[in-house]
Amino acid sequence: MSDTFGWSSETWRDLVIPLAVFLAGVLATLWLRRIAYNRLERWAKRTKWQGDEILLQVTKVSSILWCLLLSASLALAVSKVPERWKNPSSDGLWTLFLLSLTLSALSLASKLITFYGERLQASQRAIRLSNTITSAVIYVIAILILLDIWGAPISVVLLITLFFALVIILVFRETLINLVSGLQLNAIKNIKVGDYIKLETGEEGYISKIDWTTTQINVMGKSTVLVPNSKLLRSTVINYGQTLKKAREPFRFFDRAHLKELTGFKAKNLRELADILKNAPPSVVYYHTHQFLEEQPYFAPEPANDFAVWVTDTLGNELLGEKLASVDAFELLTPEALRAKIVSIIEENLSAGLETRESLPGGEFHFMKSVSAILPTQYEAHDLREFLETLRKLSLSSLHLHIFEPRLRLGKATNDFSIWLENSLDEKELADKIAKFDPYSYTLEVTRSLLIQLLEKHIQ
Amino acid sequence: MKLGDYEAIVGKDSIQELRLLARKLSGKVIQNVNSTFTGGGVAEILSRMVPLLSELGVDARWDVIKGDKAFFEVTKKLHNALHGRDEQITPQDISIFQETSQKNIEDLSLYGDIMFIHDPQPIALVERKRGIGKRWIWRCHIDVSKPNEAAWNLLLPWVLRYDSVVFSAPAFSTPLSTRQFLISPSIDPLSDKNKELPQDTIDAVVSKYGIAKDKPLIVQISRFDYLKDPVGVIQAFRLVRRSMDCRLVLAGGTATDDPESEKVLSEVMDMSSGDPDIHVLSIPAGSDIEINALQRAATIVVQKSLKEGFGLTVSEALWKAKPVVASAVGGIPLQVKNKFTGLLSHGIEGTAYAIKQLLGKPEYARWLGENGREHVRHNFLITRHLRDYMLLFLTLEYPRDVIYI
Repeated sequence: MSDTFGWSSETWRDLVIPLAVFLAGVLATLWLRRIAYNRLERWAKRTKWQGDEILLQVTKVSSILWCLLLSASLALAVSKVPERWKNPSSDGLWTLFLLSLTLSALSLASKLITFYGERLQASQRAIRLSNTITSAVIYVIAILILLDIWGAPISVVLLITLFFALVIILVFRETLINLVSGLQLNAIKNIKVGDYIKLETGEEGYISKIDWTTTQINVMGKSTVLVPNSKLLRSTVINYGQTLKKAREPFRFFDRAHLKELTGFKAKNLRELADILKNAPPSVVYYHTHQFLEEQPYFAPEPANDFAVWVTDTLGNELLGEKLASVDAFELLTPEALRAKIVSIIEENLSAGLETRESLPGGEFHFMKSVSAILPTQYEAHDLREFLETLRKLSLSSLHLHIFEPRLRLGKATNDFSIWLENSLDEKELADKIAKFDPYSYTLEVTRSLLIQLLEKHIQ
Repeated sequence: MKLGDYEAIVGKDSIQELRLLARKLSGKVIQNVNSTFTGGGVAEILSRMVPLLSELGVDARWDVIKGDKAFFEVTKKLHNALHGRDEQITPQDISIFQETSQKNIEDLSLYGDIMFIHDPQPIALVERKRGIGKRWIWRCHIDVSKPNEAAWNLLLPWVLRYDSVVFSAPAFSTPLSTRQFLISPSIDPLSDKNKELPQDTIDAVVSKYGIAKDKPLIVQISRFDYLKDPVGVIQAFRLVRRSMDCRLVLAGGTATDDPESEKVLSEVMDMSSGDPDIHVLSIPAGSDIEINALQRAATIVVQKSLKEGFGLTVSEALWKAKPVVASAVGGIPLQVKNKFTGLLSHGIEGTAYAIKQLLGKPEYARWLGENGREHVRHNFLITRHLRDYMLLFLTLEYPRDVIYI
């Protein structure tokens, strides 16, 4: 009987102590958990990173189970359970912990991917793909650990897993690089949707979307360029900042090719020059006062207008040549006014009897005009930024067309740029500044530089 | 050569512009007609232009008229007369010209939407205009600034029947009822005659012709023709050599439609015989690398023509950034902007004086040469020529000063 009682007393102790350890463990770990969570939640609210709040939310319930499992593990350690039961029980507890940890990791990964995916404006397909890949990785790791817990051989499984992992990495190498680059771009926040960027490789425009793997650049509202995020991260990128005010109508850049048309008329002295010029069409006047600007933009100093050059070089009348060279085409608003001014200077000279010379045979002044073909270009500007960036790369003939031709050839009040700035962007002040700018005083390249400076200053 | 090959030289925008213009000519057949497939500037231009137009999608084709020796002797006479030389155009000449022209009018298949007729030899083909319609352009490659009246009057009735006439220099035009355009010819920067050459090649060519490199080299490249005035060049050279040591190279070939070349060559040989500083080189047609090398070896390039259609050798020299002294005739003043891209002269003494100026001021000579290269890049390369031709074809459809394409 006493043996029986003694056995019962020992058994009671063996049961009570682990139970007490378990209950104490539960109480202690839950208390510690509560303190830890309270502090972590306060800290998480202070930080900008929303990932910590997701982490706390996901582990809040699981952590209760982890407290129970830890307590059970301690109880098992102090218990007198025979060794042959103790190890499987311990493995069982680890297995439960692993399952709980796996579920938490899956939930955490899914929530983080969705969170960042939405921030990066990733497509649902990309989010689903990322979820699947991450889940697969978590499952594989969990299975490997589980096998290790239960003492199964994992070398072969590990090798196969590594092989497949390598294959996947190789196949999706670019995607993965771009994915990581997308995360980096998001983290460093150097560029964002709405910024106007220019890559060293030439792509430029407003960023319309930053995806997981690519960044979309809207090129002048006409086309979209998809730049892989990895390229964006590797390239030198100039970021000009946020979108500027949109124009009501875009500025469409045109180019001009011209063909020289011969009139057949020629002058060998000033009298003939004046007489033919009086009756010449405006296109002839325009040609002889502007052709050198476009055809010989590389001469510095550039030659004067054709009348001045002929009078100086062929007739040898430098004084009159100087007067003709100084005729200000910028102040004279129409070709007719320009013609009248040139004719009046020549006639004044003739009436003073200062010029009787004739050109040598073959040195006559030949009256010509040009036929302009106006060609569309790929460029279109919707705001000042696009306008400025296009100006940098515009051909000289296009610049010539928009600056010189509107007033004297197409009958407009001023240059095309000023008209657009005032009418479509309400930038009257800037429009006036450009309208008052005298392009006849500079080469076309210098004109371009000065316009760029003006626009840069205005945008700043 | 492919069109894309020119992008590095003239820029992407220029090539895009050509493609845009070509699209507007889609469906049109351009038929070029001249008198020879080989020899001379016209054949050289067409042999490059036609394939490039085709690459752009413009259906350009090239045919030649037929003619016997007598016909080509008459056309050579006409050619000289149009250049202003005193030639007697006899009734028999006119008869030979008209008979062969009539044969060509009857035999040649004229299928183009735009008939592009080059030079006087096939000018009479426009007789078919009344029968077949189409648009007709006469491309005059020669200097008609002071033509022999009889020769010009012979051609004028045909000239006036064309829709448009194209000249190479403003001085060639007179008031006509037909629209007239100025289109300068061009050089191909990628051809054997103009491409970059390694120094070894240049040295090998100079050495092959026994030209010592001990003195500055004055070079004129032209076929042996009175109008290129090789005799005048020798005279100018001898004036220069009185005070400055230098060598002269006169190099050129002959064209199949020019029976006079051999006679001129013989005269030049006689004049230079016994002078070790003068090298007269008769170079066979097609020796483009050799011509290129001689131009690149030159210290100064001269083009002392008495008459010139355009003078493509001037553009060739300018493209090689060589200082150029050239006569102010024909299309040369378009290429040599006096004191900007070279020096213009009007006679033997003026030519000698200009050569001496450049030999004495190598920095100035270099500056002129560099300016000259840029001038050619913008105005006298084949890409500009292609653009002008396509614009010309378009003006036939849109007869206005401003065309929106």
